[in-house]
Amino acid sequence: MAYREFGARFEKNSACTLSEKDEEDEAAETSDGSETHSSSSKDSEYSDELEPEWLDDVQKNGELFYLELSEGEEEAVLSQVTAAQSAATNHVRFSEKEAEIIPDKSSKKRADSNTKSHPKFKKLAKILGRKRRPSSRSRADGKNGRASQQPASILKNQTGQRMGLVVQQPYLKDVCVYINPKRLGNMSPPSQEEGGLLEALLGVVLRTRNGLSCNGERLVIHGLVPHSPASKCAQILIGDILVAVDDVEVTSENIERVLSCISGPTQVHLTLETGIASTVMDSEVPRSRPTAPVSQLVRLLWGEDTTELQMSVAHVPHIAMYLSLKLDSESAQVEQEILYQYPVSEAAAQLKGIRGIFLTLCDMLENVTGGQIVSSSLLLRKHLVHVGYWKEGENLLVIGLPADRVPLLHLQAVLKGLVRTLRVMYGSLQSAFCEVENAPRLDHLFCLFFQRLIQPSRLTDNPVSSSLNISGTLFLDDLPAMRWLTLPPDIKVEVDTVLSDFESSDFGDMSEDFYGMRRLYVILGSCLFYKGYLIANHLPKEDLLDVCLYCKHYCLLCLGAEQRVGQLVVWREVFLQRRSQPEFSTTTHPGYCESNGRVFLLIVGLRHYMQCVLLQAGGCASLALGSPGPDCIYVDQVKATLLQLESLESAIEERLSAPPTPCLSCADWFLPSSGRDRQDVISSSPILNRLTAAIKPPSPSTIGRNLFREAGSGPKGRKPSPQRSLSDSGSEQGDIGLRMPSAGTRRDSLGSGGSDGSGSSGGLFKIPKLKQPNPFYLGSLKKSLTEKEAEEMQNTMKLTAGLENTLFHYILMETVQGIFITPTHRELSHLSGSIHPQLIRNFHHCCLSIRQAFQQTLPPRQDSRGADRPHISRGLGPVKEHGILFQCKPENWTDQKKPAPTMTYWVIGRMVQEPVPQEFYVCFHDSIPEVPVEMAFRLSFGLAV
Amino acid sequence: MLHSQSVQLLCLTASSGVPLFSRGSAKPLPFSIIGSLNGVHMFGMGHDASLSCCETDRGGRVLWRVFHDSLMLIGASSNAEVSELHLRRLLENAWNCMVLVLGLDELANVRNVERLKRELRSCYRLIDMLLERGVDDLDCDGDQGLMGDLTHCTDCILLPQPDLLQETLESFTRAAESEFGCLLVRGRLAVATEKWWRLAPQELILLSAIANLPPGKTSCDYPVFLPQGSPNVALRLMCFQLLPGAIACVLCGPKPSLHQVENEQVCCFWSPVVDNLRSSLDQVERSPLYPSITFNRDVLCLLLINRDSRKSVASLGPTCSKSPPPLSPARRWEILRLFYTFAVTRYFTSEETPNSWCPPSDPLHEEFSSGFTHLPVHCYLLTDECKCYAVQTPQHQLFLLTDLSVPTFALRSVATHTLDVITTATGF
Repeated sequence: MAYREFGARFEKNSACTLSEKDEEDEAAETSDGSETHSSSSKDSEYSDELEPEWLDDVQKNGELFYLELSEGEEEAVLSQVTAAQSAATNHVRFSEKEAEIIPDKSSKKRADSNTKSHPKFKKLAKILGRKRRPSSRSRADGKNGRASQQPASILKNQTGQRMGLVVQQPYLKDVCVYINPKRLGNMSPPSQEEGGLLEALLGVVLRTRNGLSCNGERLVIHGLVPHSPASKCAQILIGDILVAVDDVEVTSENIERVLSCISGPTQVHLTLETGIASTVMDSEVPRSRPTAPVSQLVRLLWGEDTTELQMSVAHVPHIAMYLSLKLDSESAQVEQEILYQYPVSEAAAQLKGIRGIFLTLCDMLENVTGGQIVSSSLLLRKHLVHVGYWKEGENLLVIGLPADRVPLLHLQAVLKGLVRTLRVMYGSLQSAFCEVENAPRLDHLFCLFFQRLIQPSRLTDNPVSSSLNISGTLFLDDLPAMRWLTLPPDIKVEVDTVLSDFESSDFGDMSEDFYGMRRLYVILGSCLFYKGYLIANHLPKEDLLDVCLYCKHYCLLCLGAEQRVGQLVVWREVFLQRRSQPEFSTTTHPGYCESNGRVFLLIVGLRHYMQCVLLQAGGCASLALGSPGPDCIYVDQVKATLLQLESLESAIEERLSAPPTPCLSCADWFLPSSGRDRQDVISSSPILNRLTAAIKPPSPSTIGRNLFREAGSGPKGRKPSPQRSLSDSGSEQGDIGLRMPSAGTRRDSLGSGGSDGSGSSGGLFKIPKLKQPNPFYLGSLKKSLTEKEAEEMQNTMKLTAGLENTLFHYILMETVQGIFITPTHRELSHLSGSIHPQLIRNFHHCCLSIRQAFQQTLPPRQDSRGADRPHISRGLGPVKEHGILFQCKPENWTDQKKPAPTMTYWVIGRMVQEPVPQEFYVCFHDSIPEVPVEMAFRLSFGLAV
Repeated sequence: MLHSQSVQLLCLTASSGVPLFSRGSAKPLPFSIIGSLNGVHMFGMGHDASLSCCETDRGGRVLWRVFHDSLMLIGASSNAEVSELHLRRLLENAWNCMVLVLGLDELANVRNVERLKRELRSCYRLIDMLLERGVDDLDCDGDQGLMGDLTHCTDCILLPQPDLLQETLESFTRAAESEFGCLLVRGRLAVATEKWWRLAPQELILLSAIANLPPGKTSCDYPVFLPQGSPNVALRLMCFQLLPGAIACVLCGPKPSLHQVENEQVCCFWSPVVDNLRSSLDQVERSPLYPSITFNRDVLCLLLINRDSRKSVASLGPTCSKSPPPLSPARRWEILRLFYTFAVTRYFTSEETPNSWCPPSDPLHEEFSSGFTHLPVHCYLLTDECKCYAVQTPQHQLFLLTDLSVPTFALRSVATHTLDVITTATGF
């Protein structure tokens, strides 16, 4: 293992056995108080001494997919509190080891760890032992004791057992709650008068507060502390009697002792005697949130039991097959032409049964109409199914998908994306499907693939992204571009600098130069994501697309967007498509040729950040032999980079919560709803806008940001880079005061449509028109200006812009850079309403068609299949612009007397070749005059990329 | 392999796969390929999966349809401009042709395959004409601008003073002991009796096609089955050429003989209105819309559909003063057909009428427009050659092409204005 060869140099004690591990852990534990300000390089060395937790998950071929949730998320999975609540808890653990680096450890905790260190480390050893077992996929580290005792991880779906309560006797119920003694923090041991550990840990208040001492009374629950584990689980009722904790009978006499034995965060089993008949408290009682959908994706990624998810799509006909076109009459094996197949459901079996059709069509159509078959449609038990074909050599990849999920227009794009991903991962379809050991990995990939297409809502928990329905995901996922987040220039520079620092491979005394040996890898480039948005990219476009296709197919982007990833390490060899294309060798600059070494992809995710790095072996780096696993040094360096970037998180968050530029309108503002404001039908939008704004609660982000800043400034001290400290002391701190009020007023303007922020009610009737910066005005280019200038510009624009803001949604794709900009999820969530989500869904569906029209009519080019498509027919000719006008009416229009009001809006797509190839998709209200539209197109709607 | 650009229509018996005929391509497909095309579909049926269509990367297509569980029609096209909609319509029209000529009973219950094969020869001419329409070469001038086969709406012309002709037609029809009569001018319906309008649009298109078919004959008498109206009882379609390009048609029962009507009634009723007929023929030469309607000079051509009565009128724009004209008429019609297909398959409703052989619950093709949450009302396309704009109102659909010189933002007003002008002036 490469790690061993290299890492051994740094290891003081390379023979690290299990028993010694305990001591090392202890050493780590005790030293962490002083280690808080250790530099990141120190960190990595430190984790060199301890094996990184992902090491055991490295597979034989060197690949690694290791995912660990942050503690907050684990807790969410465990006790099913909402993700939002858990994210609010302050301690974040980056990894198992670093978890101990929580700066302010109490003296009590210290004492605790002294006394309890032994059993605790036993547990750790057990966990490590468990992980040492060959496991095909990584699993959440079982931090708590229960998980290590029960090999069947509690993270697995055991709905009834986990959350629900099992009725044992008529009046006894079992409840599982998640408790974390560490959260007691530096409080002194709670005294009996305050309710003791029972109140502090569980949040249960007892009736006999004074007499709790030692009379062996039954524990009758008198009250619940808000936000405590007991109240969160919502199944402990006042009046219940606590009978046992983890099957140990408890009374007022021993409860404190029992609870004090719980040392780490864990799930405890409470047995309660309840006065309410257990039938009422059935575990089947529907909860507002079904079994933590957050974990669905994560569980899928962990490769855990996914039967439930698969069962839910079993009736939907879908299949992936890799078939051989060669007839081999020698071997009489059954189904020998099927090289690979997924899934094994009834509907899929039916599609498998008619594979003869696919094979025959593929073979025959060339003789009938000329050209390769790309798709066919068939009616399977009343379901229309589209089948996509991809022929490579003597084999045929067939993907069947239901027509109501993937329109025929879009099937090709989906298939192309999939094929490219497979090629990136395995080099060719042949090598992907024809090697037996790949089968489970492909199963995993296709499971994700179909889940993503057929029921994307099951995988996400984000209300906004789930409102982005199938066509939205379809369209955005298959654009040859990544979602880009524009950052203020100063932050962008900083991010880029940090990335460049990393890419220079100058790791100080960790570097290979230091030891005079050839470096293992050359860093080709990297790209950085924050919450699924691309914020920096140092990769050529095609490489970026390769990397991102991998991330998309493994849902890594939505993972980072929705939950805080404790640690994500992915390592695998990739085959960049740019290099496999024939023109690769010819189009490079004269005198320069790129070396053709093996390329590896390293993805490291921490919290909301994710960095993808392409590493090349060979060339000036040493040749890679066999299938090397991830190298610790590189992983740690990426981690260090991400930790360094963490200080920028607040700034990025601020950008995310900033009001959208260009400003967006909500469709509902243009349409009086049927229920209320009927008298306002004529006066319509402006007033309604105000009303909605007044109702809307102020967003908490202003307060949150302050907190965030302070929290974020902690790790800043780790490795102060010159740029950082400069901006810290200067611009950033300085303009935070300046930026905040401006952000405040502008947010208001998003809601109210008036920029005169505070006095929204005062100006209610004074200004009959919406005076909002109009996206169709050149003024929205202000993003490229400094904050202050923009502010001034906005002020002046308030006077000049007499138009309503009518831009609903937009997508701008920069074809050359491979990025696109669209309103962020948060911006969308501001624009809530009943019509607006529909409008966005419609917009995306429409974009599918528009883009397909562009693609279909593009002048002929070298096709990706290698065949030059003879473009005999002229068809419609190249389409440059395509627009559709939609009309919408409010649903449930009850007023019989008046006809339902209608709102019309355009969805327009335009493809520009000069000066830079771009594609715009915009959606705006019908009322805009022509000239601003033209102007806005020219100015790219003020979207500075 | 098919000759590039050609469309081929194959007909086989659904149960036994006996080929009945193959029309279209100059070089027919080899039998083995016809066999496997049929075979894949039959194999699928055996597995409860009915194959509907497939497409190749060069735009070639194959479409399968089984009608009344007895006959299978396969359309194969190697022409990228033949859309799925076009091919689908072609198969439906071909089936309707066969019913029109032979009757449903004959086709639904095949007793003697060899006899059926012989009998089907009589619909070749009609089918061939349908195959040629809209595919590639539009040499024959008369067919230009006829879009009924694609739109399933009757092609019409709008006459400035239809009253006289209408009265003449009605009395002529009555004299022929019928209630169904119409006057065709250059293949387009000029006037028709009320009952004629009640026939299904698909029937009207085919009846017009039949009447228009034989060049040079002055009168003819065909037995026809109406695919929707009377699929099993034959009626007689009598056509009389009044002037070259002007044909009067009557659907009637067994009674008046062709000879009788031709000798006694045609002259008596139609000779007084010959001048009107001439002028309407002249008008169609210029435009199916009457000359008093003036619309924007930059309109290259347009198609207006009345969604309620399922009639359509298509016209080239006013003769362009520019020389050379930006687009040849043939290319304009071609783009109009393509644009109609584009708009209707993606955004607008394609006026699908429920068919007797295909219950609407089984959609053999996907309706992309059903994915929209809101109602598309307009759409436009800008290409290198022209600008296309389409409007859909509850009553009408208008598709028009304009010159590139029209600013994009003006397209909408040009289109709505054109729609207003035509509908108010003609009550179409």
